[in-house]
Order: sequence, then C-alpha cells, then structure tokens
Amino acid sequence: MSSVKTFFSRYWGIIGILVLWQAWVSISGLNAIVLPSPLSVVSDLAANPGIYASSAGKTFLVAVLGLTFGLLAGIVLALAAWTSRLLNGLLTPLGLIFSSIPVVALIPILARLLGYDIRTEIAIVAIAAFFPTFVFVGAGLQSLPAGSDDLFKVLGSSPWQRFLRLVMPAAVPNMMVALRLTAPEAVLAAILAELLMGTSGLGYMFREAAGRFAMERAFGTSIIATITAVIVFGLVMAAERRVDAHWK
Amino acid sequence: MTEAAIRLDRVSKSFALDNGKQLTALSEIDLTIGKGEFVALLGPSGCGKSTILRLAAALETPSTGRVSIEGREPQSLSKAHRLGVAFQDHALLPWLDIFANVALPFQVAGRKVDPSRVNELIALVGLEGFEKARSRQLSGGMRQRASIARALALQPNVLLLDEPFGALDAVTRRQMNLELQRIWSAQQITTLLVTHSVDEALFLADRVIVMSGRPGRIIRDIKIPFARPRLPSVMREPGFHALVDELTMALEPELAAP
Amino acid sequence: MILRSEAMHRLVLGAVGVGLFLFIWQLVGTYRLAGMTWPPLSDVLIFISDPARQTLFVRAMGASFTSVAIGYVLGIFCGVAVAMLGQVLPVARPGLDRLVAVIHAVPLVALAPIFMVLANRDLTPPAISALGVFYMIYVATTSGLKAATHSHRDVFSALGANAATRFFRLELPAALPALVSGMKLAIPVAFIGAIVGEWFGASRGLGLLMVSAMQNFQIPLLWSAVLIVTTASLALFGLMSLVERLIYGRFR
Repeated sequence: MSSVKTFFSRYWGIIGILVLWQAWVSISGLNAIVLPSPLSVVSDLAANPGIYASSAGKTFLVAVLGLTFGLLAGIVLALAAWTSRLLNGLLTPLGLIFSSIPVVALIPILARLLGYDIRTEIAIVAIAAFFPTFVFVGAGLQSLPAGSDDLFKVLGSSPWQRFLRLVMPAAVPNMMVALRLTAPEAVLAAILAELLMGTSGLGYMFREAAGRFAMERAFGTSIIATITAVIVFGLVMAAERRVDAHWK
Repeated sequence: MTEAAIRLDRVSKSFALDNGKQLTALSEIDLTIGKGEFVALLGPSGCGKSTILRLAAALETPSTGRVSIEGREPQSLSKAHRLGVAFQDHALLPWLDIFANVALPFQVAGRKVDPSRVNELIALVGLEGFEKARSRQLSGGMRQRASIARALALQPNVLLLDEPFGALDAVTRRQMNLELQRIWSAQQITTLLVTHSVDEALFLADRVIVMSGRPGRIIRDIKIPFARPRLPSVMREPGFHALVDELTMALEPELAAP
Repeated sequence: MILRSEAMHRLVLGAVGVGLFLFIWQLVGTYRLAGMTWPPLSDVLIFISDPARQTLFVRAMGASFTSVAIGYVLGIFCGVAVAMLGQVLPVARPGLDRLVAVIHAVPLVALAPIFMVLANRDLTPPAISALGVFYMIYVATTSGLKAATHSHRDVFSALGANAATRFFRLELPAALPALVSGMKLAIPVAFIGAIVGEWFGASRGLGLLMVSAMQNFQIPLLWSAVLIVTTASLALFGLMSLVERLIYGRFR
C-alpha cells in the first residue's frame, strides 16, 4: 500500500495533467484539429509504430553522432588550449561567448552555409555540443593542482605517462559532466534542424503533420521526441556512472 | 527552594539511525544548574554533551524524562526569545554587517532594535569600530566575539555555548577564555558551556560536569573553588594543576590504571 | 579597482581573440572563402544600419524582445513561486520535482503543438520562453533555498524565529546567489524559447525573419537577424554577470 502512496505522491502532477487533458477534450467537444484527446494520440502511436520508430531512430542517430563529434572536438581543443597559454587566452573568451548565445539562432545560417542535408544537421548538433564542452573541460583542466605537473616531471615520467595519469583522470569526469549538460540541447538541436530544413526525422515529421493539421500525429511526435530525449539522457547518465566508477 | 535555572530530570535521548538501529546519546541524566551558575560540560567527543545543550536550546526533545528552564519547557523560552546561543560555527549572516548581526535577535523577536544596547554589546566584546565590517573580514576570534554578543542581545535568561572556541588556535583560545570571563562577569547569566578543553572548563566554570560517552552519563560533578574574578595566574597554582590531573584522569580512565 | 597583471593579461588576450575572430569573419566574407552564404561583417553592419530597413528591424526587434521580456519575467516569477510552494508544503515537493522534471524533459519544440492549439500563435514565443526560464529558475531557487546551513537554522530556532521570519531573514537572502546565477543562465534560454516559438508561425519577429530569409536566400538579412539576437543575448548575459558578481560579493 505504501508503494502506491509513494507513486502517487511523486506523480500526482503528471497524472493530474493527463486527466485534465482528457476531461477538457471530452467536455468541450473540441474538434480533433484543435486539440486531440490523449487516447487518440496514443492510438495514432500504436497504429503507426514503424513511421515513428524510423523517424525517432534517425533523429537519435543525428543527435548521438553530433554529440560525439562535438564532444571530441571540444575535448581536443580544450587540451590544445591547455598546453599553450597563448591559445588559451585567445580562445577561452570566444568559447565562453559562443556557449552562452542561443545556438539555435545559428541553425538558419548553418543551414544556408552548408546546405540542406543530414550532414548539416549533424554539424549543427556538433557545434551546439562543442562550445560548452570546450569551456567546461578547459575549466576542469585549469583546476588541476598547480604543482602536480611539476611533480610528475620530477618523478621522471614521460609526457605520455603524464597525460595518462595526470591529465586524463582530471579531464574525464569533467567530460562526462559536459556530456550531461549538452545532451538535452543536442536532441533539441537535432529536432529543430530537422524542423527547419530536414526531410526526415522527428522534426520533419512534426512539420509535415502540423502542416496538414494532423494534430494527433503532431502530439504523437512530441511524445516520441520526449521519449528519445529521455533515452539519450539515460544513456548519458549510465555512461557517466561507468566512467566515474572507473576513473574516480 | 530557588527555582533551578536549568534542570534535566532522568533525561534520555535516543536517535534512530539510517540502518534502523537506535543510538542512545544520553542515558538517565540528572542535572541541576542554579541561577547565575557557570557550568562546564566536559567530555570526549560523542559523549552527548552537545545533545544536552541542544535539549536546553529547544533544538531537540528528550526521549524520556523532562528538561526545564526556570520551571518551563525550553520551547516556551525559545519562543519568548529568552535563550542565547553561540555555536562552534559562528553562524553569522554573511550579508549583514556586525551591527546588524548582533541586532538580529531584536528583529527575530519582532522588537525595535535598540542601537545603544547593540553598541554596548559590541563594545563589551571588544569589537568597537567593527560595526560596519562583514564577518568574512574578521578573524575567527572576532567572529566568535560577535556571535557571543548576538547571544547576549536580548538579555537572555540562559546562555548556551557549544564549543564556541573549538575552531580557534590555542593562543586565541586562551585570549577568548579571558574575554568570556570578563564578559560573563558583567552580567553573570546562567551559562552552560560545552567544551573538551580541561583548562577552559576549570578557568571559566563554577562547576565542571564530566561525562563519559556512548551512552552519555555524568560521572563527576566538581565544584571549582577558585575565587572570582579569576586571573590568568590561577592557572599556575598547584590547586589548578591538581584539578587538571583529576579531570584528565576522569576523562581517560585507562590512564589511571597502574 | 586594480587589475593585477595576470588579469590584465587575460583581458587583453581575450579582446585580441575576439578581434581576431571578427577579422577572420571579415576576411572570409570579403573573399567569399565560404561561398556566397557568408558575407563580410561590414556588409551585415551596413545592412542593419540602412535607414530604409529601420521599420523592418525595429518591428521585428520589438516583437521578439517583448516575447523575451515577458517570457523571462514570467518564468522567473513562476519559478520562484513554485519553488517557494515546495518549500512551504514539503509534502508536495516530490510531486513538484517530478512534474517539473517531466516538463523539462519534453524538448521545447515538442511543447509547441500544445501552445499552437491552446493559444493564438503570437503567444507561443513568450510561452515557450517562459517555460524554459521557469525550469532554470525553479532548479536554481530550490537549490538556493537549501543554502542556509544547519548552524544558521539552529540559531534562528533557538532565537525563537517563526517560519516566516526564518524564510525572509535567512532562507531567502541565502538563496539569492543561486537565484541570480540562475537568472543569468536563463537569459540565453529565454532567447532560444522566443526564437523557437516564432519558428512555429508567429506573425512577426526576428526568428521569423531568420527563417524566411533562410528560405528565400536573403543572406544579409539572415545574418543581420542572427547578429541582432546574438548581440542582445550576449549584452544581457554580460549585464547579469555583473549583477551576479555584485550579489556574490554581498551575500556570500
């Protein structure tokens, strides 16, 4: 009995919204074009699993690839900046600026610059992930205790050993946090890119459904988009846990 | 019979641990502190002395038995703003200056701040000139003085001090002991001081209560014979040294074994 | 305020870095190194300042910035209010946390259909903006309200403070640094919400300009709109950073 209570105490908000939604639709008798009922959305989902799954899969792919590229690029550049004070001083303020502007504003420019195709979408996600990673990992590298590099040199370790034993354990947990911070943005960026210029994926599916007023489809897309985002986030959290266990 | 200032009647206190077990912090404590008495609670870490203080400060309630301050529940004194407390962590508010910090009890009690009283207290604890300073600009000793001034703001019935000088270095601590004695002499409020420093307890208190730990029990209750006001020189008297030895043995009975 | 040579050094390098970026932009644009779709910075600036375009930009800025402003203020208000609600009714807290987390998990874009159907299209930008800001402020405020330490709470308890006194004199001031940090980070979020909202069919605004310029190959217009949005977001972010510095100095 207490587990039911716990469930309810945690999820009353969500349940409440679903109930209100269904009630509103039933009571006001709104046309499905205006607001579909939760049941009709669910039935559209159930009736077309293939379409939803392939769109979600494609968006997922774009998000994950873009995240990977952006993360790697951010890490490499952060490491490069760490080794050179000059590079660091030049690049870090730029990185800070670019990671605090609304990246979605750059989507139309990038679309025009690189052309309307899937590689652009991946590039957009990569750029969205790149800047926060660069700033964050850079900050993590900076916070290495000051004397530690010297200590390792004195102990006679080679640059590669220094890298493995000093830099990596400091940088890797930070990379994971950067991943956690950028992952939600990545999914959003992928969907938005598809929305604006894509020919496949959840963003495109949404635009297409909204265009012909198939609101069940539009809502269904939203739900699948949310689930995709949650899955990506879950994977990221799992990766973070594995890495933390190994590197901390 | 004069009303006892602080009284613990067969008090026990247990805490429920995360793993479901019970931790008995205090077991059958009987303690009476008279009005105007300065009592030191001495004991090793974990012996429950802070718990006694927290019970008196209405921050905990006893599992069994009764705690009363001047015959009333600590809660009622706390709500009537008649308690003064100072902890090891000075807990000054970082966004207020020293004057505002010392004046805080007035505002908490919903009373108009009495600037002359606040200034008087700041002078009493030796922080004159620092009214507009922030706590982070002061040293550890100065922060504790401010904390004590705050505790005295509303002329409380009872002053409760939980290792107020525990975080200070030995030299500052000695100085603060002298200061506290001086400050206390001005008003002679009933005071309960928790400490694990034998010197401190002997120098400041009228009575020293020694506790043993797990579960907390009172094992000695010693009246301190030295006359007031006490000068630093009292710490060099043979009587003082003898008491130090006696108390140290009481705290660590293993040392007494032949 | 004396800047140490280290800080001075970093400031100069940073300025040089930004300058270098602008210079490269101009270079790439002038020599068309990235094709016709990357104009020189000078072209973009000339385009924006062209008096014939004033009404266009002013109207678009007016619409977008109004959305951002409404979304920002509304989001902060609701975020603080709901966080305080969780503080006052601890029993409601787990449900509130989950509800807010679920709302946040829904990518902003997925919320658009709800707004499209429930409200007129021009309400979508401030609404999505407000939602994004709401989440950030809710998290920042709930975290900030826990900032008051145990010792502080004990002192307030022993002094006989009631819940309201403790809230206004301890928990709220202690929460201020976290809240202000949240407010700073919420600025780009507010802008993103407004822009994305406009993409779903608002009748005017910089986001709308961006999309139509993109689709119609109006390159200078596209870059102009993006530059205006980015600069506005950065300027406000910088402002809030200063405020954050001030608050941290005073409240920590």
